Amino acid sequence: MSFLEVFQYTRQDSVIHRLDPRAKLVMSIVLAIISLSFLSIVPLLIIFCCLIPIIAAAKSLRRWGRSMKGLSVLLIFIIVFNTLLSTATNPFSQSLALTLRLIALMTSFSVFFLTVHPDELSQALIQMRVKFEFAFAMSMAMRYVPTLGREAYAIMDAQKARGVELDKGNLLKRIRNIVPIIVPLIIVSIRRALSIAESMESRGFGASEHRTYMNPLKFRSRDWGVVIVSLLVLAIIMYTRLFIQLPPWALWQLPI
Amino acid sequence: MILLEDVHFAYDGLYTALQGVSLQIDDGERIAVMGSNGAGKTTLVKHLNGLLRPDRGRVILDGVDTKHYSVAELSREIGLVMQNPDHQLFLETVEREILFSLDNLGYSKEESKERCMRTLNDLGLEGLAERSPFTLSGGERKRVALASVLATEPRVLSLDEPTIGQDARQKDKLASMLSELNEKGKTVLVVTHDIEFVIENFPRTVAMADGRIVADGPTNSVLSNTEVIEKCSLTRPQLTDAAMCLHAIFSDVPQRITLLDDLEEAVVNVLGGT
Repeated sequence: MSFLEVFQYTRQDSVIHRLDPRAKLVMSIVLAIISLSFLSIVPLLIIFCCLIPIIAAAKSLRRWGRSMKGLSVLLIFIIVFNTLLSTATNPFSQSLALTLRLIALMTSFSVFFLTVHPDELSQALIQMRVKFEFAFAMSMAMRYVPTLGREAYAIMDAQKARGVELDKGNLLKRIRNIVPIIVPLIIVSIRRALSIAESMESRGFGASEHRTYMNPLKFRSRDWGVVIVSLLVLAIIMYTRLFIQLPPWALWQLPI
Repeated sequence: MILLEDVHFAYDGLYTALQGVSLQIDDGERIAVMGSNGAGKTTLVKHLNGLLRPDRGRVILDGVDTKHYSVAELSREIGLVMQNPDHQLFLETVEREILFSLDNLGYSKEESKERCMRTLNDLGLEGLAERSPFTLSGGERKRVALASVLATEPRVLSLDEPTIGQDARQKDKLASMLSELNEKGKTVLVVTHDIEFVIENFPRTVAMADGRIVADGPTNSVLSNTEVIEKCSLTRPQLTDAAMCLHAIFSDVPQRITLLDDLEEAVVNVLGGT
């Protein structure tokens, strides 16, 4: 699951990390929309080349590279199957473009998730007038993902000790083998959720209507800059997509 | 016989848990593994049935390196009951939960049924056979998890913290069941912090600290050793405390006593009686 690393916050001090999460959210969404509005190789490559410096500015190129390496099997899978099954005139070019688009999409969102701490995210949501309880639930969910992973391994160990052979047998048997893992995982999670809720309430969760916050987010001029540039770029791209025919070089396809 | 030879292990190759553990477990022994939190006790027992494999060193079962066996193969010989019963239980009834373990090891239907009933009776769970494990109390779930491994009658039974959440009566039951199994020739190994449970039921104690074995020998001498007690952050047995107090007054009373009979004898000696 190493490809998920790119969606995991890393503590670092970079230009991108210091931006306001709300500005980064706008930027990520704009980048994603732009990636989704093209489906040919050349424009997607250009987008890709614009994304790399952003990742580099977040000092996360190495992590990004690792994730892409983890993702490579899936990418090759997508290319092969799309080429074989697609009905487009040039299936190979199209599946290549699809793959590039997937990478661009992942990278756009990873800019956000790599650089926004879960606490910052919930603070951002609260200041965007999301109710505190919802924002809190979301950051709790993010907080418990690694715990759940550890729990899953512990459960696998416990079942193996009872003679369950997790990595043997045909496909059907392996699918059936998930049951002894998934059921305890759900039960344990529910039990934990209940006990967390109880312990939160006994520590006064929801006792006062008006919460105060330690570090309220401030929108600085550089954040406004990012938002304005993002929206401008989005406007230009939308305009060209809707009213201008793409030049032939932008629609270039591989000769096969 | 299980032999651990200079076993080293680090989680993710980074977090050292065992640094050179050597241990011989003979057939039919009753051993307690004690030590502070994070001393490597659980890591040690996970090496016995192959859930963890040593980074360096070997684990040998009856002369064969366990790296040649899968966990499933080892679990026929070496049963391991983990700390958290909720990690094991997933079926609708207690009975099916126990039959599941037996099915995994390929027992016939009749034999499974019989073993299941026997284990339920032994653990005082016969009234709960049709209940869902999820509606049981913590202590009961713990016993169901134990039953699911016990029913397979492994040659070596290792239990990680079996006494947590059990009242005195259940603890006594567990103890007498373990000694019954032991009399049938099974090897029993427990990881626990419960010092009285160990003194009463386990002739041999292995004390661990920082991934190493700091003491290994007769329970009486290990647990009455002040240095070991401190290193492993254990509480000194009350009887040892009493013996030390008496020793301060009557120097004829030995300090290192963990059993009531020994203390009684020492006091009677001091008083000049027979």
